[in-house]
Amino acid sequence: MHLTRYALLTLSIVSFTASANYAWSAEKDTNLSLRVSDSDLSGGETTIHNTSREAFAKPLKNLPMTSLRDFTFGNKMFNTKWVTAPASVTSLDGLGPTFNRMSCAACHFKDGRGQPPRNVDSPMKSMLIRLSIPGMNKNGGPMPHPAYGGQLNDRGIQGVPAEGQAQITYTQIKGQYPDGTPYTLQKPNYVFTNLAYGKLGEDIMFSPRVAPAVYGLGLLDAIPEETILSLADPDDKDGDGISGRPNYVWDKINQKKSLGRYGWKANTPSIAQQDADAANGDIGLTSNLNPDENCPLAQKECMDAVKGDHPDISDKQLEKMTFYVSTLAVPARRDVNTPQVQAGAQLFERAKCSSCHTPQMRTGFHNIEALAYQEIQPFTDMLIHDMGEDLADNRPDFQANGREWRTAPLWGIGLIETVNKHTKLLHDGRARNIEEAILWHGGEAENSKEAFKAMNKEERQAMLAFLNSL
Amino acid sequence: MKKTLLILAISASAIAFGSTAHAQDSAATNSEIAKKYATLVYKDYQDAYQDALKLQSSIESFLAKPNEETLDAAKKAWLVSRNSYGQTEAFRFYEGPIDFADGNGNEGPEGRLNAWPMDEAYIDYVKGNEKAGIVNNDGVEITAETLTDKNQADDEAEVATGYHAIEFLLWGQDLSLDTPGTRPASDYADTPENKRRRDYLTVVTNILVEDLQFLVQSWTPGQDNYAKTFTQDEDALSKILTALATLSGFELASERMATALDSGDQEDEHSCFSDNTHNDFIYNQQGVANVFKDAGIYDALMKQDKELAQKLNAQINETSTILAALPNPIDREILSTPEGSEPRKQMELAVSSLIEQAQLFKDAGKALNVKVSINE
Repeated sequence: MHLTRYALLTLSIVSFTASANYAWSAEKDTNLSLRVSDSDLSGGETTIHNTSREAFAKPLKNLPMTSLRDFTFGNKMFNTKWVTAPASVTSLDGLGPTFNRMSCAACHFKDGRGQPPRNVDSPMKSMLIRLSIPGMNKNGGPMPHPAYGGQLNDRGIQGVPAEGQAQITYTQIKGQYPDGTPYTLQKPNYVFTNLAYGKLGEDIMFSPRVAPAVYGLGLLDAIPEETILSLADPDDKDGDGISGRPNYVWDKINQKKSLGRYGWKANTPSIAQQDADAANGDIGLTSNLNPDENCPLAQKECMDAVKGDHPDISDKQLEKMTFYVSTLAVPARRDVNTPQVQAGAQLFERAKCSSCHTPQMRTGFHNIEALAYQEIQPFTDMLIHDMGEDLADNRPDFQANGREWRTAPLWGIGLIETVNKHTKLLHDGRARNIEEAILWHGGEAENSKEAFKAMNKEERQAMLAFLNSL
Repeated sequence: MKKTLLILAISASAIAFGSTAHAQDSAATNSEIAKKYATLVYKDYQDAYQDALKLQSSIESFLAKPNEETLDAAKKAWLVSRNSYGQTEAFRFYEGPIDFADGNGNEGPEGRLNAWPMDEAYIDYVKGNEKAGIVNNDGVEITAETLTDKNQADDEAEVATGYHAIEFLLWGQDLSLDTPGTRPASDYADTPENKRRRDYLTVVTNILVEDLQFLVQSWTPGQDNYAKTFTQDEDALSKILTALATLSGFELASERMATALDSGDQEDEHSCFSDNTHNDFIYNQQGVANVFKDAGIYDALMKQDKELAQKLNAQINETSTILAALPNPIDREILSTPEGSEPRKQMELAVSSLIEQAQLFKDAGKALNVKVSINE
């Protein structure tokens, strides 16, 4: 506790004397803390106070008013439903030929989190299935399926068949806390239907991915690489059972391997590339970063259907979209000072959840000034970790193996229900609430999960109250 | 390091101590403005409600006897009701009843009344898709409950209710720069194939009326309602100024004007079906001006900082003048003109004037000792 207080006092002084150009980057040890802060400002000066359905949709609090114009233009791009080319508004056509959804916001509804379909027969609305076969592509990434490509596009424009659909059924798994309280988890099983280009084959590797929330991504971009790397312990030299490591992935902008920061496996290096890749893979839009249509060679109808000007997204549009996603603010914490939440924070530290869900970091330089040098509470170390067999998708993604996932940021987690009307968590949305998400943790997080299970009911409630305060 | 902190702590408490007398003044100002404001809000929502009732009866008359004349009357009633609602947008952005239905975080009616931009194909047929929308989907029962549930259920563009839904149902798509949308009255002829469209228009109008009624009730004086809470709220002035700054600098300048200028997309016109966008701007701004004068903010500011009061007053007048002079319809006269054109420059001037206005509302907050944030 003393440590936390000390760190906070240090920080408040710095913010008072910001004009003195205090060199934070020189103070390596204060660039992060494993102690939970008792400030409600999850995003430092960028934090907004909003607990409504728009809690994830607001610009950084400290964004200059003159930048709002770029923010709202980006927002428009994010919400635009793209249409089949050619259309009357040529700047906004180019959907498909195959796709998952027609707009960014369709999956990232209200800039929040997606979920699996509520019924087995309902189409996926905010999740998709990544596909690959063994091997690596020329950049070290997953080898796309020869007939279906890198992900299953479950919709097609008129005259082009959808690649297929995936249906989810759940197997109930019963468990029990040491104190006798029972719980039930649900493990998803996938069946592929209406496959337009034949069977996926015996060696298919697939990974279901729910659309993650998109607020706070600019702050994650502003975390200095050395801060992230300082947390890595690939050989578990400190012997705590936790061996986070960076994922190095192909960087299309810089044409080299870079630190992966985004995606469920930290498989994308930058927001611009994330936007461009999602636009291409999910909506079917080409850009200068992804000049090729998302049509595997086997799909003749797809190739034949390509019309309209290219690229579908101009550099300017992509730039605005990237600016928008970079400047979505993190909402402030709630109930920070209630005894239950404070007790929960201590339990969170004691169970060593904070070893990966890093409570405090400081951002470094960033081109968007509002993001720079902020004291933030992301609750992620941005590293990939072995999460155990039960969560494994057995599909490597650059250096992440089939059991590794990036530590999910926890800021804002307590407002997902308000914004998105659900509490589904984890990469495939199998966890119906935060408690189930904890219970699914395995691998490097096994000890922390066991520590949670060993708590008494009141303690478990406190920990959940703490997480819901984020 | 510890010393620095101590000094900071001492100076902070000194500031707090020295300002006690001033704080009492501020509290009185806050309370006075809150009361005047509540009266204004009530009156403006009452206007919007009364005009919505007239819209409702015009639509009933139209559906009873659908022809071009009755359709025209319904459109006129929509335009009137839209403009009176436009003034009330100055009452958003601080978690009042329009944004929050109650103290438990339940959503207020804003998203049902005014969601935009919208994918009109979600409601009814569009060019190239005769069978589009809920109107043509027999699987969806047309009731207030289903339409409310369907409004922005999974996609922000999937707007099912509100002013713009009614606007689309009355005008249809605006496919030409020469005229607004040209939906024929025969779309509502009393035949089995039009039944769902007729029902839709009736139901969606009823929802609008009910939501406005809720807002009137929330602000009716002398009752145990939000207005009562608000007039006792020590943060009332902070909320009022935050709303004005946000409507000026974010919603109007950026979201509705700059984005339309930047994208060149006709759909980015606020009221694109009826070509009433210029009035959306004008009446939003009128709403800001109303609060500034009628709630006594100008007077309070004159006492604290005369120069700022006059500057803000002049800025509001300037914005109003620029907006009133914008050529319309906005899509034809401004958005379809090339970059750097005179009309575009005029609209850019409106954007800068609104941003300056928002900045001055922030400054007014400082002068009146309350916190003002934009779009938080």
